[in-house]
Amino acid sequence: MRHSVTLSVNGIDHPLELEPDRSLLRALRDDIGLTGTKEGCDDSECGACMVLVGGRPVNSCSYLALQAAGRPVTTVEGLAGPNGDLHPLQRAFLAEGGVQCGFCTPGMLMSAAALLEANPSPTEHEVRQALAGNLCRCTGYTGIVSAILSVAGADPDAR
Amino acid sequence: MGRVAAAGATREGVEGVDTREVGRRASFVRADGVPKVTGQARYAADLRLPGMLEARFLYGGTPHGRIASLDVSAARQVPGVLAVITQADLPPNRYGMCVKDRTLFADDVVRYEGEIVAAVAATSREAAEAGLAAIRLEVEPLPAVLDPEEALAEGAPLVHESWSEDASAYEGLVRNGNDCGYVTVVKGDVEAGFADADLVVEGRFVSDMAHAVPIEPHAVVADWQGDRVTIWSSTQVPFIARAGVAETLGIPEGNVRIVVPHLGGGFGGKCDFHFEAHVAALARAARRPVRLVFTRHEEFVVPDKVRHPMVMTFRTGVRRDGVMTASRARVILDTGAYASDSSMLTEVATMMVAGPYRTPNLLVEGHTVYSNKTPCGSVRAPTGPEGCWGLESHIDEVAAAVGMDPVEFRLLNLADEGDTGPTGQVYRAIGAKECLRQAADLIGYGDGDGEGVGVAVGWWFSMPSATGAHVKLNPDGSAVVVTGAQENGSGAVMALALLVGEELGIDPAGVSFVHQDTDAGPWDGGSAGSQTTFNVGRAVTAAASGIRARVLARAAEMLEASVDDLELVEGEVRVKGAPERRVTVAAVAQAAFDEGEQLIASDSPPVPPMPDNVGGSACVGRAVFPAFAAPAFFAQAARVRVDGQTGVVRVTDVAAAHDFGRVLNPVGARGQVEGGIAMGVGLALSEGTVFGEGDRAGRQSNADLLDYKLVTAADAPTISVSFVERPVAEDEGGPRGSKGVGEPPCVPTAGAVANAVAAATGVRLRRIPMTPSRVWAAMDGSRGEAGG
Repeated sequence: MRHSVTLSVNGIDHPLELEPDRSLLRALRDDIGLTGTKEGCDDSECGACMVLVGGRPVNSCSYLALQAAGRPVTTVEGLAGPNGDLHPLQRAFLAEGGVQCGFCTPGMLMSAAALLEANPSPTEHEVRQALAGNLCRCTGYTGIVSAILSVAGADPDAR
Repeated sequence: MGRVAAAGATREGVEGVDTREVGRRASFVRADGVPKVTGQARYAADLRLPGMLEARFLYGGTPHGRIASLDVSAARQVPGVLAVITQADLPPNRYGMCVKDRTLFADDVVRYEGEIVAAVAATSREAAEAGLAAIRLEVEPLPAVLDPEEALAEGAPLVHESWSEDASAYEGLVRNGNDCGYVTVVKGDVEAGFADADLVVEGRFVSDMAHAVPIEPHAVVADWQGDRVTIWSSTQVPFIARAGVAETLGIPEGNVRIVVPHLGGGFGGKCDFHFEAHVAALARAARRPVRLVFTRHEEFVVPDKVRHPMVMTFRTGVRRDGVMTASRARVILDTGAYASDSSMLTEVATMMVAGPYRTPNLLVEGHTVYSNKTPCGSVRAPTGPEGCWGLESHIDEVAAAVGMDPVEFRLLNLADEGDTGPTGQVYRAIGAKECLRQAADLIGYGDGDGEGVGVAVGWWFSMPSATGAHVKLNPDGSAVVVTGAQENGSGAVMALALLVGEELGIDPAGVSFVHQDTDAGPWDGGSAGSQTTFNVGRAVTAAASGIRARVLARAAEMLEASVDDLELVEGEVRVKGAPERRVTVAAVAQAAFDEGEQLIASDSPPVPPMPDNVGGSACVGRAVFPAFAAPAFFAQAARVRVDGQTGVVRVTDVAAAHDFGRVLNPVGARGQVEGGIAMGVGLALSEGTVFGEGDRAGRQSNADLLDYKLVTAADAPTISVSFVERPVAEDEGGPRGSKGVGEPPCVPTAGAVANAVAAATGVRLRRIPMTPSRVWAAMDGSRGEAGG
């Protein structure tokens, strides 16, 4: 039986009728049409589906859409500013060679955004620990880690 | 710059970059970068067409068996199911890159657990699953062949009961029983070489099956318009996929268009032709567009592109002064149920176990063996990491036998300019020794801080291939490249903008691409064999240089100067020494357009030749790789810590020195090295398929990312990189004397890590991955068998 629910995604309310077992990932991709969030394993192991729910990173493949009711959801499409200005993390990922195939990138960016929100000046060790749930097969993580550190080292007001 | 950047590329990170210095550019923002960081980039699984159905496959589920009955009639009645197909619905066309040994769906016999038996298309994934559940399949078990050495034994059950003599996909393939590709390297006189030796050292090494694991699983969407089908696929090789669809469905190649949206990595796992035809056949039967998206489990079990389990034996003769006089090696590739591209990869494997040494007398034999496992084939540097690990582990043991330091021993025996390769090619300027010196320096080799440090050296080929490109310079001074090339994520296609930008004197951010669409660009071999920059780079340079000449000629008229006095820089044509006399490239292009001339050019430059391999004429089965064209040489050094209580190995640092010839895009090349090393650490320590026992024999037990462990950010090493530039002659290599870059970085890592583990523990492991339990067992012989 479907349930009425309103999901707030990137500041926009989406009224939906969802089965109780609908994952947040499928609601985002199939019901709302935001395909920036990726499915890599459907098992909470790869982190490609990472989004923020109430500011905290969750693997949306293993999170029920109905659980997200009443909590703001942020996806990679919500990172850039309203006029399209890239988020500092997005710019840094490009500048530092942290993007290759791009499939892990949305999830990486969301984990990184959550980290910097909780810990504005992480050490490299803390960055690497925070990314341990996001798999990348292209970069060896070097460019991604240095991108996050470059933003963390920047003036917090500029973020 | 006022120009609209290609595909919205930003200017961040490229300020201060001198566009005249391609080879020294510090930073380059790829044109597909902004879509990828904003979530706008669409991958195959993101596509949705009106009326699109979802596909699911039914698998044989057993390593070897005969299909006793297959009844899909009930599945066709399941609500929402619009098509169910099996091999009975298709022409009996066989396919295969080396041996045409398979059909799209199982034909009577199931040869591995992931063999596709039937496919369902339905209005939802759930309905498709219900359709699968309604199919009645009975498979009678047959004896399974699971061990590659037993598969070679007299009287072993045959995975393919009957050979068809015309099934070989090319001439020169040597087959016998379960062996679908016997290959040799013969150099000098190996027995005479052993007679010269003071010592003979032997070793045996075994590698487990491992996987490509792109983070994007396979996805395919097919849509028919009349008798033409458009297929959006997560393939690395769209033109090869196109040929496969045509061959298996029995339709003209011209009726098939393959388009790759963004590709979420491949690493070989998406090479060759895979599921495009299955989905096209479903779409034709259902009269609807159909989409297939693989689960992670399917990703491990079904495709015919996983890393081969390999068995290697070495016997090396060496003099007391450390000079190697002879080497005899044998390598067996377990190709699984189908030959895929393995037979030609055994040619590569024999070169890998021969190695980049000058050893004068060699006899290497390679076997390609069928078994009832997931078929194996090209995965990034296929057979490279395993072959290099086996050889380099053995070389450390040979060095120890004569009491020499491993670096010193290698420097004595490594090939140099003028030396002869395993099959007779004579090396030009190569950086093999310099790579080793630099890798050793970078890691601080011999500083004696009590940690385990190991080195490994290796080599890999470039892959000359047919190529072509169209380039157009627009009246606004931007440019478009139309190429068949495939961007797998490495940035190889995006970085073609550097070459085109330099040739046309424009900002590379002003170069956009129409690519990975078989109806648009010229034929291309795809993102395989590290070939994109090597081949397509030559094509775009040649095409752009044709436009450059026309721009200069027209500008010479406009500036009333001689062409020889002009330079093309920063979007302008300038008179050298008189910078006030200038005209923008855009103004020249606009002037041409106003007079009815479009600045477009195409080129298909000649394919660089294979090296002479006179000595290789004695070799058997060398049909595809008689020698290594424009070979890259490299060395890596690793530092490890080993926990003696748990057997856990931690790789703290890897230093890499690579001779890629001229490095065209340092950011991209560095990214390939770093990513390759992370992959190599995984192969060394954690990435290996575990097969079940008893009822689950021949079936993968860890076909998921919880149990098959990739390297994460938390355990990736600190990486330092050095480029040793030994440019190839222009007509023998890639643009500006470059070599292939993509595959080599993952080749030597496992060998370096293994030698570091041996240095740290005093124990040699003979099987990869070196999991904690294997290391723990090896560190105490009484704890159990240390490996294969």
